Amino acid sequence: MSHHLFILSPSDTPLYELTHYSSKPVPSTTSPLAANLPSWSTSAFAGTLTALSGASSTAQTHNTQGGPVRMGGGKDRHVIQMVANASLDAIEEVMRKESVMYLKSVDKFNEWTVSAFVTPGNMKFILLHESRNDDGIKSFFHDVWELYVKTMLNPFHTAHTPIRSGVFDGRVRASAKKYL
Amino acid sequence: MATSSKQFKAIGEDIWKSRAEKTNAELFAFTYGALVVQLIQDYEDYDEVNKQLEKMGYNIGTRLIEDFLAKSSVGRCSDFREVGEVVAKVGFKSFLNISPTVIHGAPPPPASPVIGASPQSLLGGSSFTLTFDENPLAEFVELPEEVLEGGLWYSNVLCGVLRGALEMVQMQVQAVFISDVLRGDESTEIRVTLIKHLEEEVPVGDD
Repeated sequence: MSHHLFILSPSDTPLYELTHYSSKPVPSTTSPLAANLPSWSTSAFAGTLTALSGASSTAQTHNTQGGPVRMGGGKDRHVIQMVANASLDAIEEVMRKESVMYLKSVDKFNEWTVSAFVTPGNMKFILLHESRNDDGIKSFFHDVWELYVKTMLNPFHTAHTPIRSGVFDGRVRASAKKYL
Repeated sequence: MATSSKQFKAIGEDIWKSRAEKTNAELFAFTYGALVVQLIQDYEDYDEVNKQLEKMGYNIGTRLIEDFLAKSSVGRCSDFREVGEVVAKVGFKSFLNISPTVIHGAPPPPASPVIGASPQSLLGGSSFTLTFDENPLAEFVELPEEVLEGGLWYSNVLCGVLRGALEMVQMQVQAVFISDVLRGDESTEIRVTLIKHLEEEVPVGDD
């Protein structure tokens, strides 16, 4: 089971992205979903499912569940990013109505749910995930928010600088391991 | 030595505690950070930024020494060793509330035979190294790659302050950073080297 985190600036430029493979048990619904998808969609998304879930895939038998190896190459990255981008509209819709920070799940796309978190500074954290984990995700978002604030305190960092700090990366990964 | 190191520490503590107005550490760090970033944008050359920071520090130091001498009861230092102790334990403590450790450099070999009276460490060439385990100026700072490669010494203003302050008490010194944790080194160190003692100058036109 994997999660993809994107941090976007107020002008919607991506500042940071992370792919995290959770070691928590995968709900067994992922493989049946592959069969449910209409045949025209399996080309792009079968790649997603089998590559990323690694559950019962003949093509990629060497992948083990929860391994940190980046699987699937370039195909699924595009899908992921497309899903994330599409969710931005949904986020803005919700933001117009209510102003909470943690927006639970703004979008659903086949097996991916998109959860979002909008900070007071209008930074968007978008998480693509497969399973429901509201509390864990909320705590994770709060953690990432705190880490982000610490990064913002660096005078060399503006609202639009991509975050390249190794320290930040390490801490976000640790937090992801803890909550997801 | 007239005053022991423990007494220096106590003097430093007292001055720090008796200061009526202290400034918020975060505000201080943010202001300095904004200053450095602006200098980088203006000059675009890291060596130049280092020089400017040192110059600014020099101006601060020449004024700071007056405040320091007024508040502390420390008299004239007998040798450069004592200067190092006073700077570290009283100076930095009373202004920044930090206590860097001092390591004295080896005294230089005498250029000409020196008879008894003047101690070696008054001669040019003596040095001491200050090791900082915390730096209030660089509280939240992480240097991006271009800055690291450019060779910026983030807290270079401190070197200028040391040079300015000591020049006002008739010592010409050179203060440079040896290492900086922001650059990935293990510790933050400044080496202060005495170049020469300045003669008391009579103001022009007095005769």
